[in-house]
Amino acid sequence: MSISRRPLLAAPALLFAGRAMAQGAPIKVGSLMPLTGVAASAGNSGKAAIELAVELINTPQPDLASMPLMATTGFPAIGGRPLQLVMADQQGNPSVAQNQALRLITQERVVALTGGYQSGLTQTASAIAERHGIPYVNGESVATNLTERGFKWFFRTTPIGPDIAAIYVEFLKAARVNGRPVTKVAIVNENTEYGTSIADVIRRTAEAAGIAIALQIPYAANSADVSAQVLQLKDAQPDVAIFISYTSDAILYARTMRAQGYRPPILIGDDSGFSDDNFVQTAGDIAQGVINRSAFDPSRAGSNSFKVNALYKARTGRDMDDTTARIMQGFLVTCDAINRAGSTAPAAIQTALKATDLKAEQLMIGYRGVRFDDKGQNTLGSVLLVQLRGREYVSVWPTETATAQLQLPYRGWE
Amino acid sequence: MSAQATQTPAAPRLAGRLIFGALALIALLVWPLLVENVFYQRVGALVMLAALSASAWNLVGGYAGQISIGHVLYFGCGAYASLLGFTWFEWAPILGAPFGIALSLLLAVIVGTPTLRLKGHYFSMATIALAELARIIVTNSPVLGGGVGVSGPALPRSMADLSFISPLPYYYIFGAVLAVLLAFTWWMNLGRMGFYLRAIRGQERAARSLGVPAQCYKLYALLVSAGFTSLTGSLYATMVGFVDPDSGFGILLSVKMVIAAALGGAGTLFGPLVGAAILVPLEEVTNAMFGGDGTGITYVVYGAIIVFISRFAPGGLAEVLSRFQAWRARRAN
Amino acid sequence: MILAQVVLNGFLVGAVYALFSSGLTLIWGMMNVVNFAHGDFVMIAMYVAFVAFTALHLGPAFFVPLAALVLFMLGVVVYYGLVRHVMRGPMLAQILGTFGLALVLRYATLWIFSANFVSLPENLLGDVVTFAGLRLEPSRVVAGIAALTLTVGLHMLLTRTALGSRLLAVAEDRSAAMLVGIRPDPMQALAWGLGAACTGVAGALIALFFYISPMVGESLALIAFVVVCLGGFGSVPGALVAGLTIGIIESLTSFWIGPAFKDVVVFALFLAVLWFRPQGLLGKA
Repeated sequence: MSISRRPLLAAPALLFAGRAMAQGAPIKVGSLMPLTGVAASAGNSGKAAIELAVELINTPQPDLASMPLMATTGFPAIGGRPLQLVMADQQGNPSVAQNQALRLITQERVVALTGGYQSGLTQTASAIAERHGIPYVNGESVATNLTERGFKWFFRTTPIGPDIAAIYVEFLKAARVNGRPVTKVAIVNENTEYGTSIADVIRRTAEAAGIAIALQIPYAANSADVSAQVLQLKDAQPDVAIFISYTSDAILYARTMRAQGYRPPILIGDDSGFSDDNFVQTAGDIAQGVINRSAFDPSRAGSNSFKVNALYKARTGRDMDDTTARIMQGFLVTCDAINRAGSTAPAAIQTALKATDLKAEQLMIGYRGVRFDDKGQNTLGSVLLVQLRGREYVSVWPTETATAQLQLPYRGWE
Repeated sequence: MSAQATQTPAAPRLAGRLIFGALALIALLVWPLLVENVFYQRVGALVMLAALSASAWNLVGGYAGQISIGHVLYFGCGAYASLLGFTWFEWAPILGAPFGIALSLLLAVIVGTPTLRLKGHYFSMATIALAELARIIVTNSPVLGGGVGVSGPALPRSMADLSFISPLPYYYIFGAVLAVLLAFTWWMNLGRMGFYLRAIRGQERAARSLGVPAQCYKLYALLVSAGFTSLTGSLYATMVGFVDPDSGFGILLSVKMVIAAALGGAGTLFGPLVGAAILVPLEEVTNAMFGGDGTGITYVVYGAIIVFISRFAPGGLAEVLSRFQAWRARRAN
Repeated sequence: MILAQVVLNGFLVGAVYALFSSGLTLIWGMMNVVNFAHGDFVMIAMYVAFVAFTALHLGPAFFVPLAALVLFMLGVVVYYGLVRHVMRGPMLAQILGTFGLALVLRYATLWIFSANFVSLPENLLGDVVTFAGLRLEPSRVVAGIAALTLTVGLHMLLTRTALGSRLLAVAEDRSAAMLVGIRPDPMQALAWGLGAACTGVAGALIALFFYISPMVGESLALIAFVVVCLGGFGSVPGALVAGLTIGIIESLTSFWIGPAFKDVVVFALFLAVLWFRPQGLLGKA
């Protein structure tokens, strides 16, 4: 209480001082999201989460006081100046992402950039930031090569491909189907960047651990019909089916599996499409027990994730999904670094980002913390597995942190 | 045209045109230097790029009247050749351009020979199908980057990478290539080829019966067009430094080439440039103004303006201009 | 057994392709106008069905005709407001106009309904039935039957009625039709209305088993173009044959070779057909 009241009392004085010294101007942070085009649904969820983050930073949130910037208003270390978000639509187009990054940097004079969403677009937009010497923090793109480019201004908070594959493989090694170990794994992946890169890293990690991928079915996203893939699986009878899909196809798979009466013993639906609340609301009832990876577990009452999810739900009417949460956490890390920099100078923010050392309890997501290596990759990102119960995902793996018991086999619509 | 020429003495008219042209050229060369806003400079470079691809398309779609909606096939070849050259051999991206052009010419011969026989919509649909085939094949070929795409150098290694912080060099490079293309188009249109193409566009059967080797000349037009479109793709890749199946072979890109040309006036020398100079800034400005709302209003405005223009000037802005000239001539009479 | 199911699924998907292409055949084939907004017409019909179901609590028996009616009106409005003027210009003007229209429809929908995915409850028409070991979704079967009915109905209308003759006369030669006393504008508006109404029926039926989002039209439109072109412009039975062929080929290719390649086979087949029969499967030379 006492923490939150001080800045409130100080606020009028600061406002006055700000006006006198012309320091009350908002500090602008830019964000690039796909607000139109095929990824518009995910992009707009990300936008809602970032807008929530801005509101939380600009108003005192005693409830979330364990997270940086929450108990205070604006950026306390920079004279309490408020945060202003400049949102831009990258339209799912690499060239537009660059245009918008350039506009935000040169015209809007943002002090840092976040977002990007699709890895290819994060790549082109961050190249512009690198040239202009503006920090770029990404919270959601998982392509490994993004942090292998030798960039000095690029930071990434999300866990990446190898982290994701590791937890799946760990789970597959421990899982039992009818009392025997998993021997036959099938991967069904959409064949653009997201599906291809995740499928490849899972395949490599699994094979290194002695689990053979018996069947891999790449398919073109947004198809009108997916029944052939489902029948292929029905024919092959794998122990585990891993789907890597965007929302539209995830919905279609759940419906088609029901129509074709197919249920694998274990069904894994990787993040994106399967974690989207749109999927849970439209097809969740017939995909009971699907296992998903996530870094965001809002099921533990009283946790930051739980509280942030409640605020997000009050705002949008929907639960926050993993991708959206990772986007929001990336944005919050950026703002924390700006505050610690104590200045809006890009170099100071860059230094502050390099010095980032956030603990698990300071986050709204389930990472072990945020600390960047020399390449700008967060070394403390972590992933857990969740399972769909009713219309909510509950965490089931690793067992130490799980809030619910893993239930097998996959139940689907029963 | 000739009717008007008889009404005004030819010499002052020509002089007037030359002065107007010179002024326009100077304006095109100088304006980016006067604008300090880097974003506008980049929009300028993108206008040049769009004008390049639309003008290249114009040779086949406008002058020869063969509405291709699959020109992205050649664009993608150029873009991929540039960046694959870098990925495989660490070449400067622009060094891939000749290979992209060679591949595009080869494809144009293979593809053009059968498809140019097709009439109207069948030709358009065949070109779409070919471009989609290319997109799917690239998406499923890991050696070509698959669905992930291919990148250029992350940071410029030397001047040869043509990787600049300022958009201005791109503006002038694209502009110079555009000038070459427009000069070629002008020259072609004056000569025998332009004459034949006009005949083919007007009434192909009649042209054939008069002995015009229609098939042959349509193919010539396609070859030049494919070559320049491919070069545009290489230049795009050099600037953006990344291409994936959607941004290299996506159908939307083909459509944008067509609408830029159609908007300004297909089959006219400067139509595509005018169309691009309207469409690209319109797109960027609406996106800058409304894009962040996430409401899709960007495209509602953009689409409505396109609808409006097609509704009131179906022949493009060139038609508006000629209507205006006709009206002036009538008034002068 | 699995193979029989694959072919059956392909057949039912093909029927859906035929269904949403029938309206396009009418518009594109008869009036020589490319409608780039066709996929978005389908999308609008899906939202009509969705709103009718969730807000007005109307069942399929009501929302399918309602979608047809709404789309009929949309078609007529689009004809008088845009197409009539655009048709005076070159073919390029049609591309320009309908492409712009597509963007407006798609993003106005996004504006109103947001980019979220929605859907109708999946067993509105009852649960999956098993027949001789084959699994059949009632909604897809109904869509298949509707495709056949629409095709036969449209074909009869065009070939057996006076109205059909007039429609065809205007399509054949506008000025000649005027000479024999047919006013072309109402006829063409009617053709647009009918084409859009067919699309409305298609969209509402597809909504029964597909997800609904503002972007959904994009993924459906290209297939419709290929179906119409493969079948032959203006040939209603052609669209049915082409739709079924493509559906079965896609299904078999997906099963045997892999779903990523299904369109390779479809497009290659399409190009091959154009090479040997430049007028499409059932088109008139």
